[in-house]
Amino acid sequence: MVTTAVQVGSLSLKNPVLAASGTFGFGREMAQYQDLSRLGGICSKGLTLRPRAGNPPPRVAETSCGMLNSVGLQNPGLDVFLRDELPFMRQQGCAVIVNVAGHSTDEYCEMCRRLDQTPVDAIELNLSCPNVREGCMLIGSDARQIESLIRQVKQETRKPVWAKLTPNVTSIGDMALAAQRGGADAIVLINTLLGLAIDYRTRRPILGNNTGGLSGPAIKPVALRMVAEVSQMVDLPLIGVGGIMNGQDAIEFLIAGASAIEIGTASLIRPTACTDILEEMTALAQADGVTDLAEYRGTLRLWGY
Amino acid sequence: MTCDHPIEHLVTVRSSRRLNSQTTVLTLEAPLIAATAAPGQFVNLSCDHFLRRPIGIMAVLRHEGLVELGIRVVGDGTRELAQKRPGDQLSVLGPLGHGFRLEGLQRVITVGGGSGVFPLFFVQQVCRERGIDALAVCGYRSIDESILRDEYAGLGCQTLFAADAGDLDVAGHAADALKQLLCQLPPVPQTAVLTCGPRPMMQAVAALARDYQLPCQVSLEERMACGIGVCLVCACQVREADGATGYQRCCVDGPVFDAEVVVW
Repeated sequence: MVTTAVQVGSLSLKNPVLAASGTFGFGREMAQYQDLSRLGGICSKGLTLRPRAGNPPPRVAETSCGMLNSVGLQNPGLDVFLRDELPFMRQQGCAVIVNVAGHSTDEYCEMCRRLDQTPVDAIELNLSCPNVREGCMLIGSDARQIESLIRQVKQETRKPVWAKLTPNVTSIGDMALAAQRGGADAIVLINTLLGLAIDYRTRRPILGNNTGGLSGPAIKPVALRMVAEVSQMVDLPLIGVGGIMNGQDAIEFLIAGASAIEIGTASLIRPTACTDILEEMTALAQADGVTDLAEYRGTLRLWGY
Repeated sequence: MTCDHPIEHLVTVRSSRRLNSQTTVLTLEAPLIAATAAPGQFVNLSCDHFLRRPIGIMAVLRHEGLVELGIRVVGDGTRELAQKRPGDQLSVLGPLGHGFRLEGLQRVITVGGGSGVFPLFFVQQVCRERGIDALAVCGYRSIDESILRDEYAGLGCQTLFAADAGDLDVAGHAADALKQLLCQLPPVPQTAVLTCGPRPMMQAVAALARDYQLPCQVSLEERMACGIGVCLVCACQVREADGATGYQRCCVDGPVFDAEVVVW
C-alpha cells in the first residue's frame, strides 16, 4: 500500500491529484465517466463575478505536443455557480477549489468575500489567464499588484488562498516572492504560455482571439523548471501543473518540489486521465519501494557546479 | 459511484474502403458504440497528433457490432486516419453529442452537402428501421466528387443528387434541389428537414425550410478538443430562450441544433 494523502498548507487532500481549472468544467460531465471521490480535488472552471460569454471561435488550435486555447473565461458567473454547481461539486467527495478571476481588485475581493461563507476548501486566484483583456495576467505579471491583491483578498476570507501564476513573466521567482509577501497560502505553477498559430494560406491567426494559451506536454519542461526554481525561493507549498500526461510526469513535479499536481489538457484527450494518473503514480511508487507519495517532494538532486 | 458508461474504447479497424482521393469509409469493431449510437452523433478518434479528431457516425451494423465512419481528408490527422488498415487499433471516445431528433416525425427530408451526406446516411438508415417516410437530397461539387450515391440508392428512398458542375440530377446546390423537391411534394404533417454540410448550404436549406414552414435541424461543425463538454473551445453562437445570443458547446449541446436558434 502506498500512502497518498498530502497536505497543502492547512488543507488535507486524500491524494495529490487535482483536476485543473478549465479542463474539468464543474465535474458534471466527468462524473459520468469516473468516480470523482477518487480525486484529491477539483479546481472549478474560472469564475467571474458576472456571467461571461467568452471569446469568438475558433478557440482551439493544435500545436506540436499541445494546443492553444482562447476560451476567454466563458462561465455562468458566481451566483449561478453557487446556486447550481457548488452543491453538486460538494457532493463528489473530493476537495473543491474555486478558481476566481476578476477584472479588478474589487472584483477579486467581492468574490472571495462571498466564497468565505460557502463550503469551498480553497480559492485559487487566477492571476494568469492570457485570454482576457482585464485583470488576470495583467495583474499576475506585476509583482507589486500580485502582492497588493493577495493582501487585500486575504482580508476578505479565511479560506486558503492559492495564487495561480502566469509563466509569461521575466522572473517567476519575483512573482512567487510577491505572492508569499502578500500572504498566499500556496502557489500554483503554471498557467498557459501565450502563443500564436497562423494559417499560412489566409495569413490570419487560427484563433478568433488572435492569440491563445499554450498547454500540453510542450510546456512541461517550462513548468518543471519554474516549480524547481520557485521551490528554492519560497516557503509555501507549491502545486505543479503543465503538460502532465502520465504518472511519471506527475512524480517529476513532486520531485521538483510540488506538494500536489493538477491535470489539465490530458483530461481533454482522455476523460479518465486524473484517476488513471493517480493509479500510475501509486504503481510507480510501489515499484520504487516508496511507501508515501509525499516522500518524493523536493527530492530533486541538482548537479553541483 | 461507479463508471456507469465507459467512454473510451480501444477498437480494431475491420475494413477500409476508399471512395475517392479525399474520402474513405472506415469500419470499426465497436459493439458498445454500435449498440447505443444515434444518428447525428459522433466519435472522437485518436491519431498520431495531439488532439483527437471528431468524426460523424455514418452507419451502424448493430448485430455485427460494427460502426462505419466517413472520413474526409482535411489535414494530417484525418489523412492518417484515412490510411488505417484492417487490424489497426485506435482509441475512440463515443458515441458523443446530441444527434438528430426523429421522435414524432412522419416524414424526414435529409439534405447533405459533400461529406455532410455521411451522418445523414445514418438518419436514413434509422428512418427505414422505424418506418418513417424519408427522402434525401445529396449535393456535390461534381459527379467525380460524389460519394455514397449507390448506398443512398440502395436504401430505396427517393433521392435527388445535385452537382454544382451540372453532371447529376439537378444542376446547382443541394438547396436548389431541395426547392425542386418541395415544389412537387404533397405536404405531410410532421415533416422535418435535417441538414449537414457546408455552413452556407445549411443556411440556405434552413431559410428554405422556413419558407415552407418546416422545422429544420442542422448539424454544426466547430474546431473541437475534448468532445465531452468540459473545455468550451467548440463554441457555437446561438439565440437563447430570452432572445439574447450566447455560446453553446457544439460537442454536447449539439452538434445538432434547431435551425431557429442558430446565429448564422
